[in-house]
Amino acid sequence: MDKTEILEKLTPIFRAIFGNNSLVLSDGLTANDVDNWDSLTHMLLITEIENSFTIKFKLKDLNKMRNVGDMVETIISKLQA
Amino acid sequence: MVFTSFNFLIFFPILAVLYWITPSRFKWITLLAASYFFYINIKPVYAFLLAGVTLTTWLFTVLIAKTGNEQHKKLYLTINIILVLLPLFFFKYFGTFNNEVFTLMQAWNVRWPLPEMTLLLPIGISFYTFMAIGYTVDVYNEDIDVEKNPGILALFVSFFPLILSGPIERAGNMLPQFRKPPAFDYDLFVKGLKLALWGYFMKLVVAERLGMYVNAVYGNVEYHNGSSLLLASLIYPFQVYADLGGYSLIAIGVANVLGIKVIPNFNRPFFAGSMSEFWRRWHMSLISWLTDYVYTPLSFSFRRYKIWGIVLALMITFMISGIWHGAALTFVVWGLMQGVFLSTEALTNKRRSAFEVKYRLNRKTWYLIFTMVVTYFLFSISQIFGRAENLDDAFLVFRRIFTDPGPLFLGPPATFINGSIALSLLMFKDFTDEFYPGRFLLFENPGKVVRTISYSLVIILILLIGILDSGQFIYFQF
Repeated sequence: MDKTEILEKLTPIFRAIFGNNSLVLSDGLTANDVDNWDSLTHMLLITEIENSFTIKFKLKDLNKMRNVGDMVETIISKLQA
Repeated sequence: MVFTSFNFLIFFPILAVLYWITPSRFKWITLLAASYFFYINIKPVYAFLLAGVTLTTWLFTVLIAKTGNEQHKKLYLTINIILVLLPLFFFKYFGTFNNEVFTLMQAWNVRWPLPEMTLLLPIGISFYTFMAIGYTVDVYNEDIDVEKNPGILALFVSFFPLILSGPIERAGNMLPQFRKPPAFDYDLFVKGLKLALWGYFMKLVVAERLGMYVNAVYGNVEYHNGSSLLLASLIYPFQVYADLGGYSLIAIGVANVLGIKVIPNFNRPFFAGSMSEFWRRWHMSLISWLTDYVYTPLSFSFRRYKIWGIVLALMITFMISGIWHGAALTFVVWGLMQGVFLSTEALTNKRRSAFEVKYRLNRKTWYLIFTMVVTYFLFSISQIFGRAENLDDAFLVFRRIFTDPGPLFLGPPATFINGSIALSLLMFKDFTDEFYPGRFLLFENPGKVVRTISYSLVIILILLIGILDSGQFIYFQF
């Protein structure tokens, strides 16, 4: 699965969690740019991503995700593992 | 030594001069010596505890960084966290625990080996313990490099502006500044002095004046009617804000004068429109510490329970926050209430957002004011448990508020008038900073005349209606 496909799959998850149907994902997007993206919804997002891609994150992975780009990179590395 | 003491007014200018004439690579030594001098001035023997916490943290973090074995790493992390927490638990909770068991045993006519005891809490222990733990976890997670120089680590743990009441700083922000001290920055220096001046105003004028009323009422709960108790309960959050917020500004300002940048602790909390926003604006350094080191690991391990995992993590985190404030049932209830508020918001967040979007409420002034007032009331209600001496008093306050109205006790006219002026000034500044940033500048005004008048006015107010000899900050007891 390449980056574009991952972003395509992530978009509906993000839109559902943050209740925003016009949200467009980009590498540089951070929690500060999205309404309702706080420490509470972040964990819901993580869980949805894990279920949807059937991967498991580690706590350490979470600290490294500074934006959507980092998130996609982490997902790619998990899918390859 | 505390910021509001006369000694500090002599100590700090001397230190600032010494610090800036010290060659760059020795600056940390000057600061470390000053920090221990500052701390020893309060109670010398507790400096050993501080040094002990620093030493074990240094030792185990060096071991964590050295070993390649994941299990050993985890073991060193666990040992250090336990060792660092032991003194905190002993001094903060053992006395209460012992006395409870003592009373219980007495009731059963059984002899408990230890008599009732009251331990004097080593000042600042709750704050430097958290900083040491945060550093240990950061090294374990490889978020930062280990500090091999025990002196620099000792400075991080004991840095005098922060040691008594925070802000609870992170090693990732502080260690680089201690290793390579930033060059003299005139703007930062002046900004520091301004922050400290406003901090002194918040503490000595606002917090102290409001405190006179709150203490008069809460000190004798049984003699006051519902109206006075309600007013005191509504004022208390402002008192705490002015007290800890003022302390924090002095701490940040003092650090800035030494060229060190420190994270903020408050961001105009009374303009928050929800409890979750409130907690992003109130005691921010504690909440962000708890989020990173308690809430995130907990909610991560509970994540398969989805929203209920988050609720559970929130409840536990705020229970810990409550107990961190003190070993009393009142603080447990206080923590539980915050947990319930935030969980309710988390559970209803989506519906609330959809409702607000549908009716475009976020652009309506009346709605914004309404949410701010509700948030403030909720926090004030929880703070009744934060302020009352015990649960009985807290429940009495609630009962009286609802059943016993009566003429309002206002105290001596001077207390009321001075308190009102002080609070209005503070809230006016916060209001303009929040809604009209850059429009009503006083300390930052481009005109020199306005600036000078502002400084002078604040200094005059401090000297005129400030209470200069109290010297006690609310958060020293935590």
